[in-house]
Amino acid sequence: MLLATAAPPAAVTGPGASAFGLVATLDAAQLEEPAEAGEPAHEAAGEEGGEGFDAGEVIIEHVANSSLEHPLIHLPTIAGIDFSVTKHVLMLWVVAGLLFVILTSAVKGYLRQDRLVPSGFMNGLEALVEYIRDEVAEPNVGHKWAKVWTPMLLTLFVFILGSNAIGMIPVFEVLSLANHWVVHASPDSFFGMVLHGGSTTTSNFNVTAGLAVVTFFAIILAGSKAHGAVQHWKNLVPHGVSPFLAVALIPIEILGMFVRPFALTMRLAANMTGGHIAILAILSFVFIFTEMAGQAVGMGVGLAVSIPLAVGISGLELIVIMVQAYVFTLLTAVFIGMAIHAHH
Amino acid sequence: MEVLHYMGAGIGLGLAVIGAGLGIGKLATGMADGIARQPSAAAQITSAVNLPLFLLEGVAILAEVFCLLIVLLK
Repeated sequence: MLLATAAPPAAVTGPGASAFGLVATLDAAQLEEPAEAGEPAHEAAGEEGGEGFDAGEVIIEHVANSSLEHPLIHLPTIAGIDFSVTKHVLMLWVVAGLLFVILTSAVKGYLRQDRLVPSGFMNGLEALVEYIRDEVAEPNVGHKWAKVWTPMLLTLFVFILGSNAIGMIPVFEVLSLANHWVVHASPDSFFGMVLHGGSTTTSNFNVTAGLAVVTFFAIILAGSKAHGAVQHWKNLVPHGVSPFLAVALIPIEILGMFVRPFALTMRLAANMTGGHIAILAILSFVFIFTEMAGQAVGMGVGLAVSIPLAVGISGLELIVIMVQAYVFTLLTAVFIGMAIHAHH
Repeated sequence: MEVLHYMGAGIGLGLAVIGAGLGIGKLATGMADGIARQPSAAAQITSAVNLPLFLLEGVAILAEVFCLLIVLLK
């Protein structure tokens, strides 16, 4: 039941940005469904918290994008594309701005030094750049093209890591507390809307689809640069097979061309959404048990089960955010390398 | 009939997890064996195991997403 209601993680960034239209339509279909079908089920089962607390709703509210009817900033519709800023778009900007300021200021400070020995944050940055270049780009893309593709791989890695990581930092939850005790902003004001932010942008399928589109074109570009525009497409079908087999392979290879970015999209978005749903589901045990058996039991369950488990999963998530950023970068490098070293 | 939808998605989810678990287990076994025999090649073995591991994970997650779609597209 929880999964069924928590299902649509996929709210749309904008009709034009919806590379994943399927989920977008699902979203609309899902909105009306649980409203009528969910209620009787609750009363019948009587376990999910009933009237007061609906775990599924809370989780969706946190994971999904804010609705297009109530965006954070209203912007005009240009050429059929609604440019209004929803919370995932806002987080996208926050991540991009933060990374730009932090990275450029670090590098500028480093270049202004007298002797070019890195210190502090620059050390870590240099280690990161060297790691991506030597361990990801060089072995997969090859020495000849490593310098060409390392900047793109680094951009992908740093951006994905940044936007994954910002979902683990409870800035907006702290702001919510401040709002609850001190500010009392109205829920419709900008500040009131921003409080619902603080979710991972990479848990939105549209964002990861956009990143995967970059990979998709990078693969084609890499193949075309290495072999020429015509030879790249010829390389898709292996040499030396009989013509009949080659014809049969063409649709499979074209399918493979699209499946790779699709798998990248799904892997990143599903991993980031899954972690958040798991943490929230475990934390909502507290409220579910409070409603079932009173406050003492709820607090007991919270202290004994929810908080230790949530801490453990948060620790796991810290690993996952790094692994997923690394995986996306590594697979992009591998696919680019496959296009460049087409040995068949 | 609605129950069958949920059942199908749930069973499919479980099967995907079983398959992914077996696959990851096999990879981990192979990696542990390899490193135990040749500790000096640990870095190479790890990097060789990483890629199939991630591809395997991708397949499992695709299966889970399709299970989700079964529930949503009923």
